[in-house]
Amino acid sequence: MNTDLVIGMAGSGGDGIVAAGESLLTAAALEGYHGVLTKSFGPQIRGGESSFKLRLCTRKVLNSGGSLDIAVALNWEDFLKFGGELPVGGRTTVIYDSNTRVAPDAIPLVGVTPAEVLAVPIEEMARETGGSDRAKNTVVLGLMSGWLGIGREEVVAGIRKRLSKKGAEVVERAEKAFHAGFEYAGRHPLSSDRLMAEPPQTGAKFVVDGNDLCAAAAIVAGCDFFSGYPITPSSEIMHFLGREIWKYGGTMLQAEDEIAGIGAVVGASFAGKKAMTATSGPGMSLKTEMLGLASIAELPLVCVNVQRGGPSTGIPTKGEQSDLLQAAFSAHGDVIRPILAPVSAEDMFPITIEAFNLAEYYQTPVIVLSDQEVGQRKETAEPIDAGAIRLVERRRPAEKELEHYARFRFTETGISPISHPGMKGGNYLASGIEHNELGAPTANGEMHSRMNEKRLRKFAPLKDRRDLFITEGHADAPLGLISWGSVAGIAIEAFQLAVKQGIRVKLLVPRLLYPVSEQVYQEFFASITRGLVVEQNHQSQLFRLIRMFVDVPRGIETLAKSGSNPITPDEVADRLRQISLALQRDTQQAPSEG
Amino acid sequence: MSTLAGRPVEDYTAKDYKSELKPIWCPGCGDFGVVQAIYRALANVGRAPHEIAFVSGIGCSSRIPGYTTAYGFNSVHGRALPIAQGIKLANPDLLVLCAGGDGDGFSIGGGHVAHAIRRNIDITYIVMDNQIYGLTKGQLSPTSRRGLPTASSALGSMESPVNPLLYVLGYGAEFVAQGTPADMNGLATIIEEGIRYPGFAFINVQSPCVTYGQEDQMLKAQKATMQTLASINHDPANRLAAMDLAQAYGEKLYTGVFYRRPEPTPTFERLARERQEAQRPLVKGRADVLNVFRLKKP
Repeated sequence: MNTDLVIGMAGSGGDGIVAAGESLLTAAALEGYHGVLTKSFGPQIRGGESSFKLRLCTRKVLNSGGSLDIAVALNWEDFLKFGGELPVGGRTTVIYDSNTRVAPDAIPLVGVTPAEVLAVPIEEMARETGGSDRAKNTVVLGLMSGWLGIGREEVVAGIRKRLSKKGAEVVERAEKAFHAGFEYAGRHPLSSDRLMAEPPQTGAKFVVDGNDLCAAAAIVAGCDFFSGYPITPSSEIMHFLGREIWKYGGTMLQAEDEIAGIGAVVGASFAGKKAMTATSGPGMSLKTEMLGLASIAELPLVCVNVQRGGPSTGIPTKGEQSDLLQAAFSAHGDVIRPILAPVSAEDMFPITIEAFNLAEYYQTPVIVLSDQEVGQRKETAEPIDAGAIRLVERRRPAEKELEHYARFRFTETGISPISHPGMKGGNYLASGIEHNELGAPTANGEMHSRMNEKRLRKFAPLKDRRDLFITEGHADAPLGLISWGSVAGIAIEAFQLAVKQGIRVKLLVPRLLYPVSEQVYQEFFASITRGLVVEQNHQSQLFRLIRMFVDVPRGIETLAKSGSNPITPDEVADRLRQISLALQRDTQQAPSEG
Repeated sequence: MSTLAGRPVEDYTAKDYKSELKPIWCPGCGDFGVVQAIYRALANVGRAPHEIAFVSGIGCSSRIPGYTTAYGFNSVHGRALPIAQGIKLANPDLLVLCAGGDGDGFSIGGGHVAHAIRRNIDITYIVMDNQIYGLTKGQLSPTSRRGLPTASSALGSMESPVNPLLYVLGYGAEFVAQGTPADMNGLATIIEEGIRYPGFAFINVQSPCVTYGQEDQMLKAQKATMQTLASINHDPANRLAAMDLAQAYGEKLYTGVFYRRPEPTPTFERLARERQEAQRPLVKGRADVLNVFRLKKP
């Protein structure tokens, strides 16, 4: 029996790989299992390689795991294109389509001997029962359902629902294909135990993905306007709002370009509405001038960057965490723009709500740094209680304040009451040009200094938001682990593994990345002599960003990989073990040095 | 501003739209006439200043919102139209004006004009076209004539100018007009007509640059050569005739309405409102949006 199982499957674009992964996750979730489903694609629109990695578990997990327990290759060419994204190891059961005409002892996996290799007539069964090779994914669903012992009724019901529009005949054929796979699994038991243990009593209630949940959170936050431009891997946010926002009285505008997308959002915010845009790397580069405008005009907005491989076009379909420095330092001038990063798809909800709250409170653009992994993966989640959400509205001028209204009035907090067109007496000039308290343009050096000071000072309280940092472990641990964004889900599991192994380690995951909270890091570093910063980019961007503001202990190392090169919990835990050994050597050597 | 409270709309005068900011324009700049014409047009339309949003980009002419009592937005170069559209879509009850220069509208921001037009969002876009970059001290603009020597083309321009009128007519603009401060009554009238048109209105204003412009562009020269479209019996419902006349841009100064679509297409904001009204009964509250994530037994 298994409490934690990882399945990877690859084939070509038309094989319905992702649909199969989603069916399996939904069926398992209905039974009460937890799971994370990541999808990965080649660059082609049709016919390119496509894959999923699905981790099913009896407890909540934050990543799609390491080596596969079961690997399914509909063809080897496509499977191999995913390399380390679908890692086959010594414990993997490899299943592949016998139509590939490769002998089980000749499969093209170099340097690894899987636990078990099975050639299954997947295409043949699909043709015999489903009538065409398009039913291959359904045959695989039958195989998985049989071998894992899950979801038979749920998968079949899901098939019926999904295909009902295509007619009874199609549904019937699909069901036959499923049963062919299911029965095949029954006749050919695996030598390794791949049965899932009983699901937990209180199972998952929601299945979410980061992009859709971001869009939904925006609606819950009161967002009335979205404008953006299609870009992978963020477009689902626009698709969702294009369907849903009208029901809540809002408007979605597909802009002519990335600049117009954020421009319209700046306008909507000026008009008094909560507004959001979403994009990915290249779009973020184009939006930076508008971010500067929103900063100096002190207009709230949320800008979501679903990061992908960069620079430039980079790898549009794969995640990376390489836009952190851009987010922190985008656009010219002396500015702070808060950056938030979700650690999971589920976390996208509170992070998006928080982004709107910070934007409205501080009258600033807020950047949400998601990534392809968080944006496009599906995962089981706890029910979201929208009633428990606390929403913040921008500070509007009271009637008395409108008598001698100054839009950019110097206040103790640096936050000035903000009016909007339609509000009588609140008329002012918003501008990208430096201005005085009234909004009138100025080139005066003293006024410029005072306005800069006001616009920066207002963020001071943000650094005390300790609830935007995840901390675990003993405060006096000598070893520290830091990670952020989607990779934090891996780091958190590695931390738990290390603790189980008796390693004295503590964990820090900032969900607020900028402004850098010096105090939070200083406190974390106080007990630390060695540590590890884990992130999915080449330059260790978070590590460098922290070092700009905080004295970092010399013994801190980095584990940084470019996108499309998976980092696994085991790998991080191994590094922690090595660092822990080094720590022990440090302390043994210390007396003789003294 | 509070002195306006409670006044009937018909009581607004041009002065109510004039702010206390002193323009930075050169003495004699055509833009002084444009802002006066806008005050007069707004007074005739009679909307309260706080119900007006006036957006501009960057350039001498883009200072204009600050010289009015409306809610102004002096934004960034070339991006006035996207911001103006966001404002109008966020609050369709506002009167939204947009203004800028020829560089703003036909060079750095040229890509936005076509899309504002095809959405037909009810915005009046006034371009102060002076065929030169004034604020940056006299470089070639997209409407500069071929051969023109400027700061950035010491040996003469090697490019043909954009024809703003043909350009917007080609994109399907439903209201296209041209005016000049050399004819203040005519200019105020077409701005008012543009504001009253239920959709996107484009107004090109030949607003001379007294510092870097050419002799034949000055108001005195314009007065001598300009011709109203009414005087040649142009029918503004005739789009092809409008395009034919628009070809004379740069050679002959026609003023008045080139084209006004007799049956305006529905504005984007009207369609949005209809869609909102149709969709709203489908939900009870914002939390309903989360239902799509709820696991349901098939």
